[in-house]
Amino acid sequence: MSPSSLLLLLALPLVAALALPLLPEGPSLRVRSLAALATASQLVVALLAWRLPPADLQLAWLPKLGLELDLGLDGLSLPLVLLTALLSTMAILSAPVDQSRPRLFYSLLLATNVGVVGAFLARNALLFVLAFELVLIPTTLLVAIWGRDRRAGAAIRFLLYGAVSGLSLLAAVLAFGWLNANGLDFSFAGLAQADLPPGAQAWILALLLLAFGLKLPIVPLHGWQPFTYSQAPTPVVMLLGGVVSKLGAYGLLRFGVGFLPDTWAAWSPWIAAAGAVSAVYGALNAIAQSDMRRLMAYSSLGHMGLLVLALAAATPLALQGAVAQILAHGLIVALLFACVGLIERRTGTTAIAELSGLLNPLRGLPVTAAMLLLALMAAAGIPGLAAFPAELLVFEGSWTAFPRATLVCLVASGLTAVYAVRLFNRVGFGRLDNARADWQPTRWAERLPALALTLLVIGFGLWPGALVGWSEAETGALALRAQPFLAATATTPITVAAAAPRTIALILAAPSPLAVPSI
Amino acid sequence: MSPAIAPPPAPVQAPLIPPSEHPWAEVIHRLEAGGSMLPDTPENLMQIIGIYKAYAVPMDFYWRDLLYIAERVFLNPLPAFKYFPSQAYLDRPNAYAGDESQLRIWRGGEKAHPELLAFMARGETVAMPKLLHHLWHDRINMEFAEACMQAMLWHQGMGGRFNAYLESDSYRANADRAIRAFFKGNPVMLGLYKLFPEMFMEQVKQMSYYANLGLFWEVMAPVFFEMSDLYDEGGFQGVPDAMNFLVNGIFAVAGRPIYHHVYVGDECIEVIPKSEGFTWLYEAALPYVEAVFYRTAPFRGTKSYNAQAGQVPTDQSDFHYGILYADVFPVGSAGIPPTLLMQDMLHFLPPYLEELYAQHRRGEEDQLIQLGITFQRSMYNVTSAVIQALRCALLYPLDDTDPEHLLANRRFFEAQMDRFLRPEARLGAIQSQDYR
Repeated sequence: MSPSSLLLLLALPLVAALALPLLPEGPSLRVRSLAALATASQLVVALLAWRLPPADLQLAWLPKLGLELDLGLDGLSLPLVLLTALLSTMAILSAPVDQSRPRLFYSLLLATNVGVVGAFLARNALLFVLAFELVLIPTTLLVAIWGRDRRAGAAIRFLLYGAVSGLSLLAAVLAFGWLNANGLDFSFAGLAQADLPPGAQAWILALLLLAFGLKLPIVPLHGWQPFTYSQAPTPVVMLLGGVVSKLGAYGLLRFGVGFLPDTWAAWSPWIAAAGAVSAVYGALNAIAQSDMRRLMAYSSLGHMGLLVLALAAATPLALQGAVAQILAHGLIVALLFACVGLIERRTGTTAIAELSGLLNPLRGLPVTAAMLLLALMAAAGIPGLAAFPAELLVFEGSWTAFPRATLVCLVASGLTAVYAVRLFNRVGFGRLDNARADWQPTRWAERLPALALTLLVIGFGLWPGALVGWSEAETGALALRAQPFLAATATTPITVAAAAPRTIALILAAPSPLAVPSI
Repeated sequence: MSPAIAPPPAPVQAPLIPPSEHPWAEVIHRLEAGGSMLPDTPENLMQIIGIYKAYAVPMDFYWRDLLYIAERVFLNPLPAFKYFPSQAYLDRPNAYAGDESQLRIWRGGEKAHPELLAFMARGETVAMPKLLHHLWHDRINMEFAEACMQAMLWHQGMGGRFNAYLESDSYRANADRAIRAFFKGNPVMLGLYKLFPEMFMEQVKQMSYYANLGLFWEVMAPVFFEMSDLYDEGGFQGVPDAMNFLVNGIFAVAGRPIYHHVYVGDECIEVIPKSEGFTWLYEAALPYVEAVFYRTAPFRGTKSYNAQAGQVPTDQSDFHYGILYADVFPVGSAGIPPTLLMQDMLHFLPPYLEELYAQHRRGEEDQLIQLGITFQRSMYNVTSAVIQALRCALLYPLDDTDPEHLLANRRFFEAQMDRFLRPEARLGAIQSQDYR
C-alpha cells in the first residue's frame, strides 16, 4: 500500500469528526451510522495495511522544532490501531439510538479515535505527545457533558490527572531531545540511538513512568479511574478502558523499554513490584465494590498490574504476553462495559445490590447476562478465552525475572475469579424483583457490539496464535532479558513457538496468518 | 314542572363494631362487606375469569385422567400409558354438568370440552400420533395434577375423616380385595403383595387420593367453564359476583360423595364406597385448598430452600409454599409442576387475556409469568370464596345486627388473615394492579 494510506487512517475519522457538527439536524441514528462508517472504513484500511504493509510516511511539519509528520506501522502499533478502529466502531454502535446532541457526541468520539490512532502511528516523539494530548480534550468533554450525575467532578479529576500526565510526557520528550548528545532529534529512530547522561535517563524515566502510569493507570496514580469509569457514558468508558489506557502501556513499552533500556532494567524490580501491588490492590478493591462500573474499573487496574509486571520483566515471552494482554484486555474490558451499558440502559442502575436474576429467561436480560458471564470468565483467565494465553505468556515470561512478583500477580489473578463469581452470583442469579423488573429485553441491534466482541474473545481464546503473533519480531528485539529456556535457540531469531515450553508450544504451534510481516 | 327536591341525606349509621386493627384490616373490612381478598376492579374480574377458562380446559383433562388412573390403571406396575385415558373417560359425562349428569347444576359437560379434544388431536405442533405428542411434551401435563395429589397425600390430616378412614380395617379389607382382584392370575405381583403388603396398601391410598382429587376437579371444571360463559354474556358485574358464584357452587355440591371405585374388567370394587358418607366440601375441597393453595412442598425447583439453615419448618402445618405464597416470577425452567400448569393454561387463553398481556411488560414473550400472576390472583379469589363459605357454614351472616356475631365473624376473618402476615404472602402484591 502507498504510505499515504497511513494518512487515510487518520483522515477518515478526522474528516468525519469535522463534518458531523456541520450536518443539518437530523435523526441521531443517521449521525451514528456516519460515525460508525468512518471508523469501520478505518478498520478496513488498517486490515489492508496489515496485508499490504505500507512504507513509513515522513512529511516535514515544523522541522525547526523537530516536529515531523512521521507515521509508520510495525508489530507493536498495527494491532493497537486495529484494536482502536474496532473498539471505536463498537463504542459508536453501543451508543443509544436516541443519543442526545449526537453530532457533537460522535464528533468527539471520532476525535478521541484520531488522537489514539495518531499516537500509535507516530514515529516522532513530539507528534506522539501531540496526539497523546489531543485525546484528553474530547474525552474530558464527553465525560463532562454526557456523564452521569457526578460528571463534573469526574471530568475535572480526569482532566487534572490527564494534564499532569501530558505535561510529564512533554517534559520527558523535550528532555530526551534537548539532552541528547547526538543533537535534537525527536524521531523514534533517533531516540533509540540517543546518548543521554545516566542521571538524565533516570529523570526521564521517572517522568515517563508518571506520564504513562497515570494513563494506564497503576497504583498509586489511579485516583481518576474508578470515578471516571463510573461516571462516563458507556461508549466513552469502552474507549477509555479499551484503548486510551493502552496508550500508557504502549508508551512504557516504546519509550521506557525501547529508548531507555539500561535504566529500565535497573528500575525494573521496582516497576515489577508496582505491578504486583496494582494487581492485588485492584483485585481486592474489585471484591469490595458495590457498583459494577467501579468493580470493573478496579478489575482493569488489577489487569494493568499484570501488564506492568510483564513490561518490567522484559523477556521476549513477557513482552509478547504484554502485547497480547493489551489486546485481550482491550477486547474484554470493552465487552464488560458494553454489557454493563446494556444492563444500565434497561434497568437504570449498575448497583450490584439492586440487581438480581438477570439470567431469568422470561423477564431478565438472558443474552446480555450470558455475555457478561463470558466476559467475566475471560477476565478471570479461564482457558479457551482470550485472556488465558496472554496471561500465561505474562506469567511464563515474568517468572524467571521476578518470581515473587509473578507469584503475587498469580494470586491476584486468582482473586479475579472471586469478584467475578461474586458479581455474577448477585446480578445473574437469584430472583427478580417484580416491582423493579419492568424492563424490555435488549434488541439484537443493541447487542451487536457486545456480540461481536464476545465472538472475538472466544475466537482469540481458541486460536491464541492470532493474538500473540503480531509482535513476535518487535518484542523479541526489544527484550532486555533472555528467557533461560530460550538459551539454546538464542542465536536464531526468537520465535515463541520454538522457545516456549511445551505447553506454550502446543498453544502456539499453528503458524499465525496474522503474523505481521516486517515493515 | 316542580323544582327537584334533593332527597334528605341518608342517616349515617354508626358501625356496630369498631374497625379492625389487623395489619390486613382493609382486606378484612372488604371481606366483611361481602367482598373478596382480591380488589374489585374490572381488570381483576377480566383476569380471573379469563384464567378460570384457561384453567378449566386442562382441568377437564386432569379430572378425567385422575379418575382413569385411580379406577383403571390402579396398581399397574408399569403405568407407561397412564396419561392416555381411554375414550370412555374422555366421553364420560360430568356428574354435575349437562343433560346427562347425575345432578345437573352447570352447563355443558356431556363429554370432554371441544377445545381440549382439538388440542389433544393437534397440540401446538402438528397432528401426529399421541405418543409423539406425549414425548414432545406437546400435551396436557398431568404432572401438575399428580403433584397436587401428592401434596394432599403427603400433608394428610387437614380436616374431614378421609385420611383417618385410610387406616381403618374396612378400608384395608376393601383395598386387599381390590389388590387381589387386580392381580388375579399374576403370581409374581401377588407374591410381592404377600411379602410387602404395606407397600401395596400405600399405593392404594395414593390411588384413593387420585380419585379424591379427580372428583374435586370434576366439580370445579364446569364451574369455571360456566363462569367464563356468564362473563362473556355480561353476567358478572364485579369480583364479588364471581366469588359468590363460587360460594354458591360450593354449597350446591358440598355434600356430594367422595369415593374410590376400582374396575377390574367389568367388576367394580368399592375401595371407598359412597356409603361411607365422605363429602366433597370436607373431604376434598378443604384439604385441597389447605394442601395446594397454602402448603405444598418446599422443593419444587422454583426456589431453593436450605433445610439445614432452618428455612424449612419442622412442622408440616407451617409449610407455606402454595400458590398464595409462591414467587411466580422466576418460573420458566422446565419440569416444574406449576410451570407445567402455566404451560397448559397458555394453550387456552381467551383472546381478551392475550390482548391484556400484550399491553404489559414484555407482551407475548412473558405471557407465562403474566398468566401465572393472574392465576395467583384468581386463586386468592377462590380462597376468598372458601373462607366466605366456611363463614357461612360455621358463623353468622354478614348483615347480622348482633355485634357479638359480627365480632365472631371478625375474629374468624382475622384468624384467616393471620396466615398472610408471612412476608412471602402475595396478598399485598395482588392489591396492586401493577403486579404482573
